[in-house]
Amino acid sequence: MNKPLPVAPEVMLPAPVRAPRAWRVPPLNALIGAFLLGLLLIMAALGLVWTPHDPLALNLLARLQAPTAAHWLGTDEYGRDVLSRLMIGAHTSLWVSVLTVSMAIIAGTFLGLLAGFLRGWVDRGLMMINDALLAFPGILLALGLMAIIGPSLYGIVFALSLAYTPSVVRVVRGTVLSLREKEFVEASRVIGNSELYTMLRHIAPNCVAPVCVLATSMFGWAILAESSLSFLGLGVPPPAATWGNMLAASRPYIATASWLGLFPGVCIAMALLAFNLCGDALRDRLDPRMSK
Amino acid sequence: MNKTLILAGALSAALVGTAHAESVLKVALNADIRSTDPGVNRDTNSDAVIMHITEGLVAFREDATVGPLLAKDVQVSDDGLRYTFHLRDGVKFQNGKALTSADVLWTWKRFLDPKTQWRCAPEFDGHGGAKIVDISAQDPLTVVFTLDKPNGLFLTSTALPECGGSGILSADSLNADGSWKTPVGTGPFQLGEWKPGQYVELLRNPNYTPRDEKEPDGYTGNKSTSLDRVRLLVIPDPAAAKAALLSKNVDLLIDVTPLDATELAAHSGVRVTSSGTMSVNALLFQTRDPLLKDVRLRQAIAHALDSAQIVEALTGGRSKANNSMVASGSHYHTAVEDQGFTFDPAKTAQLLREAGYKGEPIKLIVNKRYAAIFDMGVFVQAMAKASGINLELETLEWGTQLERYQSGNYQMMAFPYSERLDPALSFDSMTGDKDKESRKVWDNPQAREWLREAQREGDISKRQALFDQLHQQMIKDVPMIPMYNGNAIAASRDYVKGLRTWPVSKPRLWTVSVPAAGSN
Amino acid sequence: MFRFISQRLAMSVPTLLLISLMVFAIIRLVPGDPALLMLGDMADAHSLEVARSSLGLDQPLPVQFVIWLKAVLSGDLGHSITTNEAVLPLILDRFQMSAGIVLVSVLLAALIAVPAGLLSAWKQDSALDFGVVSTATLLLSIPSFWLGLLLLYAFGIKLGWLPVVGYVSFGQSPWQALSFIVLPIVTLTLVELGAITRMARASAIEVLRLEYITHARAKGLSERAVLWRHALRNSFAPTLTLIGLILGNLLSGIAVLETVFTLPGIGRLMVDAIYARDYPVLQGCLLLVTFVYVLVNLLVDLLYPLFDPRVKL
Repeated sequence: MNKPLPVAPEVMLPAPVRAPRAWRVPPLNALIGAFLLGLLLIMAALGLVWTPHDPLALNLLARLQAPTAAHWLGTDEYGRDVLSRLMIGAHTSLWVSVLTVSMAIIAGTFLGLLAGFLRGWVDRGLMMINDALLAFPGILLALGLMAIIGPSLYGIVFALSLAYTPSVVRVVRGTVLSLREKEFVEASRVIGNSELYTMLRHIAPNCVAPVCVLATSMFGWAILAESSLSFLGLGVPPPAATWGNMLAASRPYIATASWLGLFPGVCIAMALLAFNLCGDALRDRLDPRMSK
Repeated sequence: MNKTLILAGALSAALVGTAHAESVLKVALNADIRSTDPGVNRDTNSDAVIMHITEGLVAFREDATVGPLLAKDVQVSDDGLRYTFHLRDGVKFQNGKALTSADVLWTWKRFLDPKTQWRCAPEFDGHGGAKIVDISAQDPLTVVFTLDKPNGLFLTSTALPECGGSGILSADSLNADGSWKTPVGTGPFQLGEWKPGQYVELLRNPNYTPRDEKEPDGYTGNKSTSLDRVRLLVIPDPAAAKAALLSKNVDLLIDVTPLDATELAAHSGVRVTSSGTMSVNALLFQTRDPLLKDVRLRQAIAHALDSAQIVEALTGGRSKANNSMVASGSHYHTAVEDQGFTFDPAKTAQLLREAGYKGEPIKLIVNKRYAAIFDMGVFVQAMAKASGINLELETLEWGTQLERYQSGNYQMMAFPYSERLDPALSFDSMTGDKDKESRKVWDNPQAREWLREAQREGDISKRQALFDQLHQQMIKDVPMIPMYNGNAIAASRDYVKGLRTWPVSKPRLWTVSVPAAGSN
Repeated sequence: MFRFISQRLAMSVPTLLLISLMVFAIIRLVPGDPALLMLGDMADAHSLEVARSSLGLDQPLPVQFVIWLKAVLSGDLGHSITTNEAVLPLILDRFQMSAGIVLVSVLLAALIAVPAGLLSAWKQDSALDFGVVSTATLLLSIPSFWLGLLLLYAFGIKLGWLPVVGYVSFGQSPWQALSFIVLPIVTLTLVELGAITRMARASAIEVLRLEYITHARAKGLSERAVLWRHALRNSFAPTLTLIGLILGNLLSGIAVLETVFTLPGIGRLMVDAIYARDYPVLQGCLLLVTFVYVLVNLLVDLLYPLFDPRVKL
């Protein structure tokens, strides 16, 4: 589930590398996106060194308290401070998404280049597995892998990156195939450069832009996917805090302590918004057809 | 749209009104049942439902002792080998046919046939418990069971819910080809409709023949009901079930966690009913773990935990700590069993020093399926930390934890033992030879011998002495820390009357009444 | 045309086979088997052995796979281990409900999103455009399950207008059934609205810039005709691909929403089957979901030329 949403066609089409344009005032979406992202990063960074309370300390006398002066965002079902857990959770959630995206990008770029470069049966075989993975529900993948690796943050990261790699493979392979026959690539061959050199020198750099745009969206998907998995009881296992498992844990108290689900939900939505806005801005910058 | 709705509502009200105001109870079931075949393809919920439809020769009373149900009385021969059951006269099956000894023979023959795959067959064919050598009918209302040796647990075993209470069935329960059709029993309810994944509906059995007692008594006694219909809605998600109760989508939740109970009790219009059961929530040690094989370390952990405080917090004061495998509700639970582990941090510090423990992490397995087990792990970890013991929680999915339990592959785990209705069965669940059965927690030859005696013995005071010895030895060996016996907690709307919980954590909906439709 | 379809279906066979094999292997690698879960803490060696052999789990894995595959090829998906129901009717029944919700909400979303995107593209950089884009981006950023929870809280618990739990099939009572699925549909519609609007706008902007639109305008066609007759049709193609992909993905992703609204759909069935290690049900679900995924993609490719005359099959 929460498969990477389809890649917009304009992302799949590569734009030739061009000289960087002169600096200009960043558009509004980039500003807002960067601001939100900055906020979350500060929250995560601060959470590493300081939280108002111990995020794991139980206090059964103070269960499910509405926000007070001592606990700004209230307490959860074990009397733990929600703000402190949100801060720690910001770190965990962002870390999961950074690791996932990096792994998916590295593996996907490598395989995509390989498929586009070698073509033939390697390409066909890779694409068949790729298609199978794309059609394969991520929950099962996650459960299976977690059972084998052990339920942990890294199990989730591994499962999610495996689920996202196929989209990267598709984008990179598409770029490679569309560029293979272009004039500047032909030119490189004519000069006598080897296939490998041509690949790395002329084709690979052109994959950077579409992969970057894809990566920005993937950060959001990873956070979303971790939350969804938590909802099904397959996310980062408690008592560690992630926004996803906090939101999932708040569900039984929806009627009695509704604020409990509000804050992690807002954080997730904020992160997704930040990544979406940054992705838009990046796309506008890298792909001028979309900008005014 | 509004008009149509009102019209439809009026129409259905009129339809019901012409017959009579129906009394319907809506109950949340946390998982679908597996089948309607008693004790065959089963789990807790299947047992709970089937125990409303079928009845055995004997059944558990309110205090978890065994009393007659379809039998008028039971006579045991002096050598303990022959059990004579006299059936009650005039009992009818749900299809109107009269119950006779032929039905008992037919049912038991089917139960003991390996092809039936009756869950409890090993308890009676000599594989595990007793061995029935003969079942015969002396007359239409008398059946005699003959065992190969005396067995103190024979009647208890036949009454167990996981055996479907050995409910006597009419042969009409099967299709012509011998496959399972539907349960036709003698209980106060009959099966209406089972819509897998959605609901199970029970209808009042018009042919129900109550016992002579005035009151219901556990699974026996007078089980007449005023309900016309019970709809058990499958709501796997506790959060949704809670919301459903609060919004009156269901009338009764039969399986509420203590923390939820405290929360629900605060709502007006909701009532919480609870009583202790015989299930055991415990911390298990792997006594063959390189670290935990040192009994001093296990003792240190036991002394680091204030069981009373943990249990108070876990159950909101509903249960008391019980470090014994003999359930608090059992009549075998005496002052001896009250002597458990003492909370003594100084002792812990000393034992840790002696054992040379230097803060090595110890993995404690918990799961999220059973909230109480997860919570117990959280509290134990916090308390052990205060004494310098470094427990790390490892949250596994339930199926995975079961596999680890079965293979003995763990350091520590918080584990829920489902209720065993006799201490010998409780001790049997954890005592044994680890080389042969890796799931056994306590491997002590002396204890195994005592347990074998307790299983054979029929005399109450001799059994008591054996259980006391077993308990005291277990406290010394610390193969596990039984924490407390679970609770059967039900939450209901205030118009639900007559609800009773008991040491067997299964509902008995025949005692319940609700106002007829339209009046609430 | 017919050749194209049969070719595509034939191409999906290895994918389906591969997925079956993956499911088969992965679910069996997960510790704990159905016999163990059925018996729980009451499991002793003897009863485990009996239960395992009655479920055929004592056979070597390759043998189990071949037995299952053979049965599937003859149209028999087996019986559920937990409830003993036949798998095919069971998954079709659950699939119906999920598919209904997904289809209706994607259709609703498309009906709103495509015109909105087109309008927004036409008035690019206006206040309207800004409003549409911001709303769409905001909707895109709200997790479906959170939105579902918020709606459930508002309409189910606070206002008490809609039931919070349960499900009745349409056959039993259409009005009641509607009251159970209206919130999931609204949730999904809102969430998909974001993605589809953005895509519709992007593709419309591209189309509006093409020469033939300028040409059409030059011919003196009214703006309205240009917009609805030319731009809509031609910008719909990429949006259609997106809708297809959403449909394909949603079916496997709907588990979370079905959990929030406690609906007995295919997603929940799948998750429950994982927890119960109900191998036949899980394998059946995966086969169905994958097959639908392949079919939807095929359908999208078939419809594509209707909207984009440049593409021929």
